[in-house]
Amino acid sequence: MTDDHSVDDRVPPRNGLDLSRRDTLKGGAVVAAAALTGAAPGPAAAATDVAPLPSAPRHGLRLQTTVNGTAVSVDIDTRTSLLDLLRERLALTGAKKGCDHGQCGACTVHVDGRRVASCLTLAAKLEGREVLTIEGLSEPGTLHPMQQAFIDHDALQCGYCTPGQIMAAVACVAEGNATSPERIREYMSGNICRCGAYVGIVAAIEDAAATMGRG
Amino acid sequence: MIPASFPDRARIDARDKVLGVARFSADVPVTGVLYAMMVPARIAKGTLTGLDTAAALRVPGVVRVLTEADFPAPPPVIENGPPPPPPTLEREIAYRGQPVALVVAETLEAAIEGAAAVVCTYAAAPFAALIDSEGGVREMGEEIVFGDAEATLASAAVVVEGEFLSPTQHHNPIELLATTAVWEAGRLTLHEATQGAGGTRGMTARALGIDPGVVDVKSPYVGGGFGQKGGLGQRQTALIAHASMLLGRPVKLVTPRGQIFHLATYRPLSRHRIRLGATAEGRMVAMQYDAEQEQSRHGIFPSAEYHETTSRMYGIANYLGTSADVRIDRQPPGWMRAPHPQASGFAMESMVDELAYRLGQDPVALRLANTGDVDFRTGQPFSSNHLNACLEEGARRFGWSSRTAEPGSMTADDGSLVGWGVACGSYPSMMVPAVATLRIGADGSTRYAASGHEMGQGIRTAIASVLLESLEIDPERLEILIGDTTAAPQHITAGSWGSAGAVPVAMRAAARMREAVAELLDGREIAGNLHRRLATVRRPFLEIEVSEVGPGQGQDVLQALQYGAPAVAGPAYPTFTTMSYIAHFVEVRVEPTTRRVRVPRVVSIVDCGRVISPRTAESQVRGGVVWAIGAALREATEVDPRYGGYLNNDLADYVVAVNADIGAIDVGFIDQPDPLANSAGLKGLGEVAMVGASPAIANAIFHATGRRLHELPIRIEHLL
Repeated sequence: MTDDHSVDDRVPPRNGLDLSRRDTLKGGAVVAAAALTGAAPGPAAAATDVAPLPSAPRHGLRLQTTVNGTAVSVDIDTRTSLLDLLRERLALTGAKKGCDHGQCGACTVHVDGRRVASCLTLAAKLEGREVLTIEGLSEPGTLHPMQQAFIDHDALQCGYCTPGQIMAAVACVAEGNATSPERIREYMSGNICRCGAYVGIVAAIEDAAATMGRG
Repeated sequence: MIPASFPDRARIDARDKVLGVARFSADVPVTGVLYAMMVPARIAKGTLTGLDTAAALRVPGVVRVLTEADFPAPPPVIENGPPPPPPTLEREIAYRGQPVALVVAETLEAAIEGAAAVVCTYAAAPFAALIDSEGGVREMGEEIVFGDAEATLASAAVVVEGEFLSPTQHHNPIELLATTAVWEAGRLTLHEATQGAGGTRGMTARALGIDPGVVDVKSPYVGGGFGQKGGLGQRQTALIAHASMLLGRPVKLVTPRGQIFHLATYRPLSRHRIRLGATAEGRMVAMQYDAEQEQSRHGIFPSAEYHETTSRMYGIANYLGTSADVRIDRQPPGWMRAPHPQASGFAMESMVDELAYRLGQDPVALRLANTGDVDFRTGQPFSSNHLNACLEEGARRFGWSSRTAEPGSMTADDGSLVGWGVACGSYPSMMVPAVATLRIGADGSTRYAASGHEMGQGIRTAIASVLLESLEIDPERLEILIGDTTAAPQHITAGSWGSAGAVPVAMRAAARMREAVAELLDGREIAGNLHRRLATVRRPFLEIEVSEVGPGQGQDVLQALQYGAPAVAGPAYPTFTTMSYIAHFVEVRVEPTTRRVRVPRVVSIVDCGRVISPRTAESQVRGGVVWAIGAALREATEVDPRYGGYLNNDLADYVVAVNADIGAIDVGFIDQPDPLANSAGLKGLGEVAMVGASPAIANAIFHATGRRLHELPIRIEHLL
């Protein structure tokens, strides 16, 4: 297997988070992942490791982007989806893979404030943009009003689609699409909840929209 | 010490779930993990004659391609023993999509590219893909017979009859099948989304010929199960475990949904012919019911269970039930939410509705006059049956009394046809053995370990509800370990027995703990919670272990539990039969020109005995109704008769209910404890929630349009 570090070596470390292959191999990514998730480095964070790219992909690319307010610089395979970058490289496993086809919404995150299916978004398109995931939605130790409303209305069961539902719901309110139950249902229909928590999801969004001052 | 009713309590794991920190199996961080991807067979039946891995191995990052030659021979079949584990890799192809190779690579992208680069050649054989395909083999199941149905039908004043069809459907939990295997220091740890961690351990060990004692399975959160992640075990588990052991590194597989359609179990297509006889007054007296289903060549999903609920619901004294498998070349079908009663209930409750119209009776009144206290199938009494209370409360909440019976007689202001329909459901209430340990620490911690799997139904919340109601402990530091073979023996969680397997044993544990504390304090009065009291008497912790078995079960079932084998009691217990019941009331609106069907409101009233966790129970019922709406109006898997396999194998083409499909769902509980079923007085809930709601929709469509549809799903083209 080849192990070409030349790309890493030419790019000087920046002030933000630098996730070169060499650094991840040194274990730097452990700290990086902790920073992204907002968790203090500790036993749980130490157990988290970002899979380094083991060999230079044939079509490799250095990506510089921002995730949850933290600058990220990472070597990627150009085929990598944003979802796989988040989950497999950055240890941000809140966004879920449910279909990998943009059909279920479990992978919903925000890019520059808009909701996107991260499984259908090539990571390479994130150059210079800002990604927000469920891990960055609220300050550590607190809940976003939408998260609290999901708890209050039991707007979840298994919890697998929930991070995507909440990211979509926050966007739904911000877009001005949370003005009636009918409109919420329509604009939340890209996020499937197979457990069938839809009644609670609509109630939670109506509730949070009032708190958030939109809708 | 059962409280009169349990208080409303938030889902105990909701906070972790809304923060996105609840760890599902594919979320578990593992250092140095390799990624796997399976190569599916492109023929429906035949033999793999060649497998060229050269191109795959040239893909940068691909580490290894595993083939049939890398796996041990299947274990010998044990006569009358447990079903064999799923096969590993084989050259004989039994169904399209069967894995023929496993590519393992340093990155997910390389694994995907590598899997696509494997070149297979096959010798294809003729195959049967559909229930009516040439080559299907019909096999009769157990007959369910009591009384004299033929003679009674011959003399019955009224007989209604019809044939009904329920389609192939796939579970489609949003969580994909996922396995991460870590082979380290002589132990194999499997992080897998499973409803049966104990069974997964046993099956994987048997498939690979290793000691189950060195295998640990962890499944603390399941991203939706619905039966897909239990029962027969997953074919991928042993593949990933073996790859990890061969390569000495952790291996992870998240199976693409398109492959899951071809690998996982599914609800088989089934056909139902019913003749239902009644007196002129409307007493149902006899039923003849022939059920048949599609089945794989060696599948074990039992056909006779279509009679499980239909033979018991309305006190019919004369019953003749037959069932048949039609064995064809597909992967094995299995248990999908409300497995048999979803289909049999559609057939029967449609017939009951037709009977009401034939007799000129109200469909609610007809049902009220036919429920009973005796299980004619066994001659035993039901331990409880509050179906009439469900019907009465549902009718009241729904406003049923203002319904006009004539089909097409009710319209909305916008011109839509309005249909109001009712149907009932029931489901066996079963019970399984359990072992639990409870440890309370002077440091403020509480650790409870038991059998059970949290897949959204709220089992962890129900356990917490019991412990927090009966013990003065710190709720913030209550740890509930379930779905983990290293914490407690794990029975499969399915068949609506989750609560019966988890709650009575938790109550027993709490009671035993209170005794242990009393013994320890020996009459001393110490203020504060249990942690404080332990600290005061300088006792670091107290730990107790208890077990629980179902009515009529001996202690030997605890042995089966240790091995991960199913040990299910009921619904026919030694002296009584226990069923859960539900009544669904549905309004449909049918748009007059497009015939688009909407379901703006549903009222569902449930008799599931004592309700332990009201909030999660309500959600579970809503979920069952959502499933029934999907099943009635949307979901069918399309089998490709030309090549085998499934045509609509993704969530764009296999259409499940989305938010815009769902209106108001009002849920109520009778909340009367069952006096005999178990010490908690609870009955099963997860399946019965769905049973009957699809036929209630079909009956409402009949009321709106005058069209009695005999096939699900009911789509616009059936109403034009």
